[in-house]
Amino acid sequence: MSEVRDIEIKTRELGVTFQDNAGRDVTALTGVNLEIYKGEFITLLGPSGCGKTTLLRSIADLQKPTTGDVHIQGMTPKEVRLQQKFGFVFQQPVLFDWRTVKKNVELPMEIMGYSKGERSDRADEMLEMVGLKDFANHYPNQLSGGMQQRANIARAFGLDPDILLMDEPFSALDEFTKEKLHEDLLRIWRATNKTILFVTHNIQEGVFLSDRVCVLSPHPGRLSAIVDIDIERPRTLEVKESSYFNELVTKVRNSFEGGSV
Amino acid sequence: MKEKFEVLTNKKWFSSLLWILLLIIAWEVGAFVVANTKRIPENVLPHLYQIIIAGFSTDKVTGDMTATQAVLSSAAQTLLRGFLGFVLGAAIGFVFALVMKMSGVLEKVLFPYLMLIQLIPVLGLAPIVLAITGDINVSRVIIAAILSFYPVATNTLAGFKSVEKEKYDLMFICAAKPHVIYTKVLIPAALPYFFTGLKIAAPMAVTASILVDTLQGDGGLGCLLSQSLKHAMSIYVFWLIVFFSAFVGILVGKVIGWIEYGVSPWKRRA
Amino acid sequence: MEYEVKLEKVGRKKSLSQRIKENKTWQKASTIVLPLIFGIVLVGLWQTEVLHSWFHTDTFTLPLINKIGGIMGDISDKILENTIATVEVAFFGLVIGSVLGYLIAMLAALYPKIGSGGLSVIGAFASIPVVAMAPVLNNWTKDVSTDANLRSMVSKIIVVTLICAADMGLNAYRGLTELKPFSEDLMAIYGAPKKITLWKLRIPNSIPYVFTALKVSVPASIMTAIVSEYFAEYITGVGRAIRENIVLAQYSTAWAYIATACLIGVVAYVVLMVLQSILLRRYH
Repeated sequence: MSEVRDIEIKTRELGVTFQDNAGRDVTALTGVNLEIYKGEFITLLGPSGCGKTTLLRSIADLQKPTTGDVHIQGMTPKEVRLQQKFGFVFQQPVLFDWRTVKKNVELPMEIMGYSKGERSDRADEMLEMVGLKDFANHYPNQLSGGMQQRANIARAFGLDPDILLMDEPFSALDEFTKEKLHEDLLRIWRATNKTILFVTHNIQEGVFLSDRVCVLSPHPGRLSAIVDIDIERPRTLEVKESSYFNELVTKVRNSFEGGSV
Repeated sequence: MKEKFEVLTNKKWFSSLLWILLLIIAWEVGAFVVANTKRIPENVLPHLYQIIIAGFSTDKVTGDMTATQAVLSSAAQTLLRGFLGFVLGAAIGFVFALVMKMSGVLEKVLFPYLMLIQLIPVLGLAPIVLAITGDINVSRVIIAAILSFYPVATNTLAGFKSVEKEKYDLMFICAAKPHVIYTKVLIPAALPYFFTGLKIAAPMAVTASILVDTLQGDGGLGCLLSQSLKHAMSIYVFWLIVFFSAFVGILVGKVIGWIEYGVSPWKRRA
Repeated sequence: MEYEVKLEKVGRKKSLSQRIKENKTWQKASTIVLPLIFGIVLVGLWQTEVLHSWFHTDTFTLPLINKIGGIMGDISDKILENTIATVEVAFFGLVIGSVLGYLIAMLAALYPKIGSGGLSVIGAFASIPVVAMAPVLNNWTKDVSTDANLRSMVSKIIVVTLICAADMGLNAYRGLTELKPFSEDLMAIYGAPKKITLWKLRIPNSIPYVFTALKVSVPASIMTAIVSEYFAEYITGVGRAIRENIVLAQYSTAWAYIATACLIGVVAYVVLMVLQSILLRRYH
């Protein structure tokens, strides 16, 4: 990449240490130095226990770092959070049973104090974008898992956040739904130009979606490699059949420290 | 015809109906046996139609009231107090749960006592509450309130605790203020649990208020029941009360179910 | 900073490991220390008669704790006699009712078409006030024996039985039917007959539900036993003793029995918890 790009998120020697039930220290993450550009789609990839979710949560201010720090647009994560610039998509669609799909999408906007009309308009727009327009007045328990996750994504985009943090959002979905949502996500990302941090343990998924894949290795959790994914955009599902795609997948797989996972 | 019958048997109400019919048959068979072997069968097991006739009879059982009038007027006295206690207890129970959720220290202080009160036979306290307050109406309210308080408090607290960590995380990411978390997340999430508490509490409140009546001869359903049992008036008044209180006990549970159904549209469309 | 502290109170206690780390010992100790302090304060208020002024009562109606304790010691043989009467009723009613409720649940699980309605009828029984049930059963058990004590016992036990059967029936039915996904299919693939599915799958699955039921019905059985004593023909039991002593204005004695009733409730629950920990340990 030759052009000069703005750095949006920067971590410096980031480390997180937990205490387990026996009172012993467990290093979840150590010495992470990472720069994420504005508008970039970046994946944090690794097996369970590699600290990828911990890294995401540290950036989102959900986790206090033990060492090092995080800077986002020159601010601390907390300042960014209080300015409500984050969108977060959890692994489970954290929907509220007692609210309709549309009301679920409106919730963060209610908290931010958007006017009623504005909320409604934006929610409609978001639901249209994820293809749930016809289900706006349904309740979450009437939707399939894939539709629930779409609603979840619509909610995260609804606030028009600068940074979207996604913690294994598609891991509980079937392959067909997942592929459909991959394409949708890329389309929405292109249209909105957000910075997306995407956590996954699926190599193909990471390679298909991202500009760069950050490979994390466990024991202790650390950043072991960053792989540039220079496949042309817009990408379609056919990309997955190309030999270059598979080359990159192999490259990512080989970059795990300690060999195969 | 056979298929139609099969569709019918698959309905849940059908088997309920079947059981109710069976119970009625069993009752009537019992009543026939009793009628032929006992000197005063209506004390033991009258026929159902006899009870129904007594309900519609225009004969006065007290100075100026028929059996049904007597039952209903004392029921109004008893159940209104019971209802007041129920509402009071439920409200205090809800506030209690809320306060315990808001303050970790208060939760630690109060939780063991909340558990303890469940193990105490509160109805056994009815006579002493009457002795302390010296007023039957106040006692009714207090006992019904205590009995309603703890199921509501424990269930509502369980409801607050049922909220997943992700929902808090989501609120945290949105930088939501604490009062917003309560009104938009915690209280709606606890609502079904609150209703479960109410459903447990309501029949207990009915039982309590009738029981407190029997402790003092000051009117009320329980008092009427005692008088009828002592043959101070027609024994059918007793049978009417038995059926009436059973009906009320079942009805209050249903009514709360309907209210819950009414205020939670998301349950309707599932 | 202020904002953060408030939010912690709402529910972010767990994720803020730092705070917990600093206070781990205190966290553990405080769950015992804090309620204990509250209890001591309560006893103090009672003994110094502050409670009496709050409730506008006197030490005659609400005797001091040491006096209640003294009376419990003085009439311990009588208390024991009444306790046995109450516990017998509660225990037999609990056992018979729970077994009966479980059997009904089993039938309902095997023949759901007929059974499910039966369960809702039983559920309705649970909502019938004890006050209405107790006198009816008094009348029905008149011919059981010439011994008033025995027939009163039978009548009280039946009331407790009905209450416990309803509770056990509803819970056990859930335990027998809410199986882990696919486990029923697995049994079907092995061609297991209904009987084997019942023994190997449904019954083991229902054990935790049985304890859920017991946690409700143990206190309920004691409460029901006490209330049905009020209506019983033969004068015995803790509940009846509370009432009789209040009628005679012997409040200290009544309080001694109230304390006994509370003790029975707590001891029964502790016994249940111990039983559960022994039985469920074997299961898992």
